[in-house]
Amino acid sequence: MKTPRDILFARHQTIAPKLDTIRHGVVNVEFVREGRRVAVPKYRVAGTATLPLLIWRELILPCRRIWTGLAAVWILIFAVNLLQRDPSEFMARKVSSPTPEMISAFRQQQRLLAELIGQNEMRTAEPRKTFLPRPHTELGDRILTT
Amino acid sequence: MLVVTEREQLPVQQARDGKPEAWNILFQRYQLPLYVYVFELVHQEQTSLDVVQETFIAAVRHIGGLRDNTKFGSWLFGIAHQKCIQRWRKQAREEILLEEIPDVPGESENSPDDLLIRQEQEAEFMQRLNQLPLPQRSVLLLHFVEDFSIEEIATITGANPGTVKSRMHYAKRTLKKMLEEKK
Repeated sequence: MKTPRDILFARHQTIAPKLDTIRHGVVNVEFVREGRRVAVPKYRVAGTATLPLLIWRELILPCRRIWTGLAAVWILIFAVNLLQRDPSEFMARKVSSPTPEMISAFRQQQRLLAELIGQNEMRTAEPRKTFLPRPHTELGDRILTT
Repeated sequence: MLVVTEREQLPVQQARDGKPEAWNILFQRYQLPLYVYVFELVHQEQTSLDVVQETFIAAVRHIGGLRDNTKFGSWLFGIAHQKCIQRWRKQAREEILLEEIPDVPGESENSPDDLLIRQEQEAEFMQRLNQLPLPQRSVLLLHFVEDFSIEEIATITGANPGTVKSRMHYAKRTLKKMLEEKK
C-alpha cells in the first residue's frame, strides 16, 4: 500500500536532473545579477570586440524589434510626407532658368502694364467734380440773361 | 523519501542574508514537491518547469516579503500557485477556478496518509485525481504533497479556510468512493 504522496513523487522522479539544472541556473544567475559574484559575459572576455560590434551587440541586437519598429515608423512618416507635398511646388523646382527672349518678352509686358497702370492712375488722379448747389435766385438770373 | 517535518530547520534566515548556498538547499528541498504540484495542475512538462523556475526567481527577489521564516514552504507554494493562475488567465481559462461548492460543517483535518492505495489502483487513482475540478485538485495536492494545514492551503490558494475545508472534503470523498468501488 502506498500513500498518495508516494505515488505522486514516484511518477515524477525522472524530472530531477532538469530541476537540478534549473536550480543551479537560478542560484547562479540571480546572484550574478545582484553583484554578489563577479561574472563577466563571454563576449567581453574575448576582448576582440570593436566598438561598432559592441554597439551592435549591446544596443541594437537586444532590442532589434524596437529598432525595426522605429525604422518602419520613420519610413511611413517619410512616405506620408512625400505624398502630401504640393505637386506645383515640386514642378516649380524643375523649371529651368529663363532664356533672354523670355526675359525681353517679360520686360515688354511689364512696360505695357506700367503704361496701362499709368493711364489709369491719370484717370483716377483727376479731381472729382463736386456738386455745389447754387441758390435759385442765381439760377433765375442766368435764365433771364440767356 | 522526503521528510516534511524538517521545515523548521531550513536555512531561511541565511537565504534572507543572501547566501547562495542557503538558497540551493531550500530549492533542493522544494523543487520536486513544487514540480509535482504544478504539473498535476497544468499537465505540461515544459510549462511546469517554467513555473518552477519563475517561482525560484521570484522567491530570491522577494524574500523580503516573507514575514515568518517557518512559513517559507507555504509562501513558495503560494508564489507557484499565483504563477499558475497567471498562466490560466493568459489562456482565458480562469472560469475553471470559479467553480464553487457548498461549505461542509466542521470536519477534523485528516492526514494525507489516511488514503492508502494499492499498486493496482495507482493508475485509477491518478486518473480520478485528474478528473477532479481544479480547485479541489489544488487543495488535495497541497495536502498530499506537503501536508499543509487548512490555513496554509487557504493562504496559498487565496481562498477562505471554510472553502478549503469543503473542497478537501468533497475531493477526498470522491477519491475514497472510487477506491472502495474498486475493492
